[in-house]
Amino acid sequence: MAAASLPRSFTPGRLAWFGLLAAALAVGALAFYQVFSKGLVVTNLSNAVPWGLWITIDLSAIALGAGAFTLSAVVYLFRLKRFQPIVRLAVFVGVIGYTTALLTLIADIGRPDRFWHPWVYWNVHSVLWEITWCITIYLSIMLVEFAPMIAELRPLQRWPLIQRAAHSVHRLAPALALAGLLISLLHQSSLGATYGVLKARPIWFKPSMPIMFIVSAVAVGPAVTMAAALILEWVTRKRTLPHDLLRTIARFSGLGLLVYTYVKLWDLAAVTYYGRTPGSTSAFSLLSQYTPYNFGFWFGEIGLGIVVPVLMFLVPRFNRNPANLVLGGLLAALGVVINRWNVTVSGLVVPLTYSPGAGVQLEPGSYAPSLTEWGVAVGVVGFALLAFTLGAWLLPLFKSPSSASSS
Amino acid sequence: MTKKKTRVELDLTRRDFVRVAATAAGSAVVAQAVTTGPLSPFGELKQRQVAGEPANGHPQGEHHWGMVINLQTCIGCEYCQRGCSATNDVALDKHWNIVLPDQTSNGRRFFFSRPCLHCQHAPCVEVCPVVATFVRDDGLVMMDYDRCIGCRYCEVACPYDARKFNWEERTDENVLVPTWGVPEVERRPRGVVEKCTFCVHRIDAGLAAGLVPGVDREATPACVNICPVGARVFGDLLNPDSPVSQVIAANPTLRLREELGTEPSVYYIPAEEAA
Repeated sequence: MAAASLPRSFTPGRLAWFGLLAAALAVGALAFYQVFSKGLVVTNLSNAVPWGLWITIDLSAIALGAGAFTLSAVVYLFRLKRFQPIVRLAVFVGVIGYTTALLTLIADIGRPDRFWHPWVYWNVHSVLWEITWCITIYLSIMLVEFAPMIAELRPLQRWPLIQRAAHSVHRLAPALALAGLLISLLHQSSLGATYGVLKARPIWFKPSMPIMFIVSAVAVGPAVTMAAALILEWVTRKRTLPHDLLRTIARFSGLGLLVYTYVKLWDLAAVTYYGRTPGSTSAFSLLSQYTPYNFGFWFGEIGLGIVVPVLMFLVPRFNRNPANLVLGGLLAALGVVINRWNVTVSGLVVPLTYSPGAGVQLEPGSYAPSLTEWGVAVGVVGFALLAFTLGAWLLPLFKSPSSASSS
Repeated sequence: MTKKKTRVELDLTRRDFVRVAATAAGSAVVAQAVTTGPLSPFGELKQRQVAGEPANGHPQGEHHWGMVINLQTCIGCEYCQRGCSATNDVALDKHWNIVLPDQTSNGRRFFFSRPCLHCQHAPCVEVCPVVATFVRDDGLVMMDYDRCIGCRYCEVACPYDARKFNWEERTDENVLVPTWGVPEVERRPRGVVEKCTFCVHRIDAGLAAGLVPGVDREATPACVNICPVGARVFGDLLNPDSPVSQVIAANPTLRLREELGTEPSVYYIPAEEAA
């Protein structure tokens, strides 16, 4: 059954792939060891720029995992049953995204031994507290949704209890999808609010932050799932999902990206051209002077991340070719990563102005990730790819739950 | 098969659209109701916020410790910084007290210094996910080093750059000791955020011994004691007879970035413009 989606024999290509993943994991393990033994001094983070590459990875991985809640809601709440075949893959990609984010966070917090504190010591006014709770609850929801795939593995099929449990989980699917939708709408937005509520930071402090985060996540998350399905199809040389279905998802993402563009450009116009508050004006001139912020914004976020994917997803001539859909999905994902980087780092590089009417102009902060930070990044990406490979190999990702429960 | 027809079937029907719209709208209403609306377990908190009280609303105790810094008398000698960093054993690259050269709008030079401002609506306190930092009923913004997880959100949120993170286990020798003072508190462990405490250990011990912080030196922050020109005055803002209240009553003062609504406990007597 499932195990047949990749032949078990090890071809040279497959060996090379696993070798690459092993190397990435080794690099990651070394970097994690450095962080845990010496502390965050091994990063290039500073008191001026205390957040950097790792936070970018957290935000991106969670946003790119948004296909799980979007497609679950589409199938189980909006009852568009024809999308059912892709839900399992979407949830699987979501689980990988969220675990990757949590793994990175463990490196990023100064006291990993106290990772459980937000669950015990509550500050309900902190968006970060709410995010921690939502992410944990939602990851649990996804793991429950994911459990039937494990239950269908051959060694577990002997146990009727497990099979019955998996079947009742399937009956719970709409409730899980509803909880997932609510909790995801909360934390995907709150990740933007993390920045948006900080009144002392001129280019972060605006109500559009949570909206841009949630819209980009809903738009790009499903496209990542779609691209993952097509890539799996090439590797396994098996058509797993109807292409019409994938093209509909691409079209949805294209429209989502247009909504995102609308919010984004209005935000830009309101903040700069129309609004022109002293704080944001001087912040933007500093950024264009000292950093490639504008290049990242126009070329990375808008050009690569929005214009190309929108063309690939919405123009009929382009979206008939699966290669274009994959290209669009990957570029849209890249656009999200560049956006999260730009938001995080640019907001911190701009110095605080705390002395009214006086000439204290602090030096702009500077930041480029250290080798260890890149090492952790390589490690967690390796973890994500390994998990995806193993899942595609071993799990019944494309089986419909109804046929599974009758078998 | 006719390609066109398949595509039409896959697109949303009107019924689908209505269903999607209704579910989305319903979810939004439910989310609103259970997070900030009438069904919310945080309703009381919400009301306190609307009333303008701090998130971790603290009852007002019998004291409110505050400070005045006179920018007209400060000579920029950095004694406050050294006294502070010796007494609290602060690393030299993350001073709790900073001193910067500055100038007025018409070019008169002066020195600007800044401890933690001990805001009553502190942004750092509002964002901390684990209540590792909080406002005490005497106005002090405290750190619980045993609870901090080192996420550094408070550092990002502080408008005044008053918070510093311990990037590594400290092994350095504090060169300011013993010339500028002797450490009275432990070094902070790796991985937590630290900041100025208004020498809380002196205030608490002093009060227990019947001393008056801001008047008796043993109960007064190191930076205030060591200042050679008396540019810093400390004391109880609630007591109209305390030195700090008297100075505030007699001089025009300002607080940093008042427009943010952070309600700092540190007041500045601004530098005079050039004649």
